[in-house]
Amino acid sequence: MMKDLLTPQNANVFVGKLGDILEKAVGAPLGYAINWGRIWSLWPVHIETACCSVEFGAASGPRYDVERFGIIEAFGSLRQCDLVVVQGTITRKMAPRLRLVYDQMPEPKYVIAMGACAITGGLYFDSYNVLPGIDGILPVDVYVPGCPPRPETLIQGCMLLQEKIKRMKARSHV
Amino acid sequence: MRMSNIAKQIAPGLALQKVDERIMTLNVGPQHPGSGHMRIIVQIDGDKIVACDPDPGYVHRGEEKMAEYRNYIQNIPHLERPVIHDSCNILYPYCLATEEILHIEVPERAKYVRVIAAELNRCVYTLYWLAIYGIFLGHSTMFMWPTGDRELLIDLLEKMTGARVTHAYFVPGGVRNDLPANFEDVCLRQVDYFEKRIRAYADIFYDNPILISRTRDAGTLSRQDAVRLGTTGSVLRASGVDYDIRKKEPYDCYDSLDFETSVLKSGDAYARSKVPWLDMLESCRIIRDALSKMPQSGSVRVKLKPNPKGDEMTSYKRVESGRGTLGCYVVSDGKPEPYRVKMSVGSFRNLISLPYLLKGEKLGNMPAVYWSLNYWPVEADR
Repeated sequence: MMKDLLTPQNANVFVGKLGDILEKAVGAPLGYAINWGRIWSLWPVHIETACCSVEFGAASGPRYDVERFGIIEAFGSLRQCDLVVVQGTITRKMAPRLRLVYDQMPEPKYVIAMGACAITGGLYFDSYNVLPGIDGILPVDVYVPGCPPRPETLIQGCMLLQEKIKRMKARSHV
Repeated sequence: MRMSNIAKQIAPGLALQKVDERIMTLNVGPQHPGSGHMRIIVQIDGDKIVACDPDPGYVHRGEEKMAEYRNYIQNIPHLERPVIHDSCNILYPYCLATEEILHIEVPERAKYVRVIAAELNRCVYTLYWLAIYGIFLGHSTMFMWPTGDRELLIDLLEKMTGARVTHAYFVPGGVRNDLPANFEDVCLRQVDYFEKRIRAYADIFYDNPILISRTRDAGTLSRQDAVRLGTTGSVLRASGVDYDIRKKEPYDCYDSLDFETSVLKSGDAYARSKVPWLDMLESCRIIRDALSKMPQSGSVRVKLKPNPKGDEMTSYKRVESGRGTLGCYVVSDGKPEPYRVKMSVGSFRNLISLPYLLKGEKLGNMPAVYWSLNYWPVEADR
């Protein structure tokens, strides 16, 4: 009976089905484990775009210390990063660079829009050189309002992102 | 290949460039831990910098154009955004110039409150700058200490103004609100502790042999060159030119206060990193002096008419900010909005000397020289 089923033509189908069953059984716990690993080691890329970088710097300082929430200080090499914190106003000169940085990062990657300027253009909504928010160039995960947001607000935004990653499908990124 | 093609289309300068026999072109920034919000294009021969071309403008937000279609009061919040951690000093010249146009006489108490706020803010700015200088030189303790001590003064400013960094405290005609109750005692206590803290920086930073070996004789700017290139502030004073607007053209109540300017002679990156620190110690002295001489009561703000109109005149005022001379030129044509607001900022003037300083330097000295210019890219771009 088995011998008849396992012809070379059927083998691929059989293995495929076996894979599906395995994924159903192991996928959910495995995905949870993968996501758990991701949320406690978010590496923000080191790109400052405007004045919110001051509060981003203060958040890495000793009083607020984002590192205890698993957000590591801004890091130089973007090939090893998985988080872009867009720190404020994006001008027409910076926008292509920001997109280029995002494109070069490996999947999975997340975006936090920090400050009113990154969300809607903020105070500079009628300036000739400022983008009205970064939605047009990047898919944003979490918006952190404020001008500039206090470090506590930024940390809350990061925790919201961690909550979001926890509920994401681990395989959907790959 | 595909990436470089895309880069060529959207940002011509970003594409990879042809490598010469000996000379190689490097792009430092805007995504780089040692650049800030700007790009420096350096040409190197081995380890030696042959030429350097700074490329600012990544945060150009058109502040000056925006100021033309907002009235004098509406201009306050967005004009302080170029340097949010030095927001009192960047509003100072605008308020002084606007007061001349609107013919306002500032109350005596407000002048002292302004000086206290400006000096506290200078310390907050300088500490952030020092923290970044520490991280540029790979000295992580020097990032942690100033960012921690900075919070003390930020707490103080938060009590005064209600906001952490963007205070919008100075308005034409004085300051937005009076000092909170019992402020003098709290301020004196905090400033005393703060002074003790920053004196300790000498042990880990300024007397540190590793820091001295990295910054001593790096990017030396002679006295003549400093004047010729038009540098200001700490860069000028590190080259031996005693020029401080607070002394030369005293504004508000600086002429009644007792302080000295700090001048060093050597003109290298070490001197440029030390002058702002000496300035902070002077700032503590100014704050104590201003607190003792301040009138204990009185108004701190002249009430303006809604939508005030100025005469047809121009006004140019200068103050000494954390980065150097900061000027604001306001032209009024008799309407509620200014006809033109031009800001002449210290950062941009100091940047001009960068190509001269980096020529012949080692590539590794680039962050040490670049950040010692007391440069804040957002302010330079405006």
